Amino acid sequence: MKRLLMLIAVFSLVGCATPKEPMDFTAFEAAAPRSILVVPTVNNSLDVDAPNYLLATLPMPLAEKGYYVFPVNTVKVVLEMEGFYEGEQVHQQPAAVLAQQFGADTVLFVTIDRWDAQYALISTTVTVSFQYRMVARDGTEIWSATETMAYTPANSSSGNPLVDLIAAAISAAVTRAAPNYLPLTRQANQQVFILGHSAIPDGPYKEMGVNR
Amino acid sequence: MRPIVIGVLLISTGLAGCAAPGAYDWGGYDQMLYQSYKDPSKSEAMRVGIETHIAALESRGGLVAPGLYAELGTLYLERGETDRAIDLYAKERDAWPESKYLMDAMIVSLERRRTSLPEAAQ
Repeated sequence: MKRLLMLIAVFSLVGCATPKEPMDFTAFEAAAPRSILVVPTVNNSLDVDAPNYLLATLPMPLAEKGYYVFPVNTVKVVLEMEGFYEGEQVHQQPAAVLAQQFGADTVLFVTIDRWDAQYALISTTVTVSFQYRMVARDGTEIWSATETMAYTPANSSSGNPLVDLIAAAISAAVTRAAPNYLPLTRQANQQVFILGHSAIPDGPYKEMGVNR
Repeated sequence: MRPIVIGVLLISTGLAGCAAPGAYDWGGYDQMLYQSYKDPSKSEAMRVGIETHIAALESRGGLVAPGLYAELGTLYLERGETDRAIDLYAKERDAWPESKYLMDAMIVSLERRRTSLPEAAQ
């Protein structure tokens, strides 16, 4: 009986520590992309500014990972000249066609599912949630990931409940007035591209940089 | 004394963490882009910011991050300064071979537009 309990205990520990299924990078490595075309994002949130703000955060982590990233604002302006003003229109185009039009090896599509701040009485939780998908120029999907990040400002306790309540209310008011989505968005990008189990392989420029 | 030393160590480690050098010096590119999306009147500040940053990098032989020459070119294009835009697209192409197809296409299209509408260029 004791042994059984121990076994159960060991198994449950193993269960907790089991990492996510390792991702299959066969298709990614077969495509061996050098360049990534980041197209305007699709917005399923209610914040009309979210797609542009997200777009601004995407090039840096991908370039730092060693890829040539097409200039996102230039790409956006070119697409607008072609009559594509919304991410939805762009995402409806076949990835192979987009890749050919820009001479890119892969296209990165990102969809915003959440970009909101939920207000409770004395605290506010800011949440972002994105779906990422990378497609090679032959139309094969070579990578995908989803990420959700939430942030609730922590209020340190002063030992005086009334003071704490006032401090919390002020903090919530600040977050409510101007929820700052950028740090969370950067964190989500870091997680999917660089830190998490979905981290993409290094690109050809990984070893280059300021010392070149 | 000792807690102070530890505190300083922690602070400097934390700072080093924040400033962890990446492969490129972006010169605040993402912040400037964010600001200009937030308030389009900031796009002029972005043009000046990227221009200054690129000049500083070039003067010390640093590597300009992918896309920056082209982004600056597009800001000039939006001001109607086609020649300057073409020069910058050519710089992007020469720095990053992956951009050659797009940059060549843009340069050709801008040059064609310039020759077909000579009066508009003035």
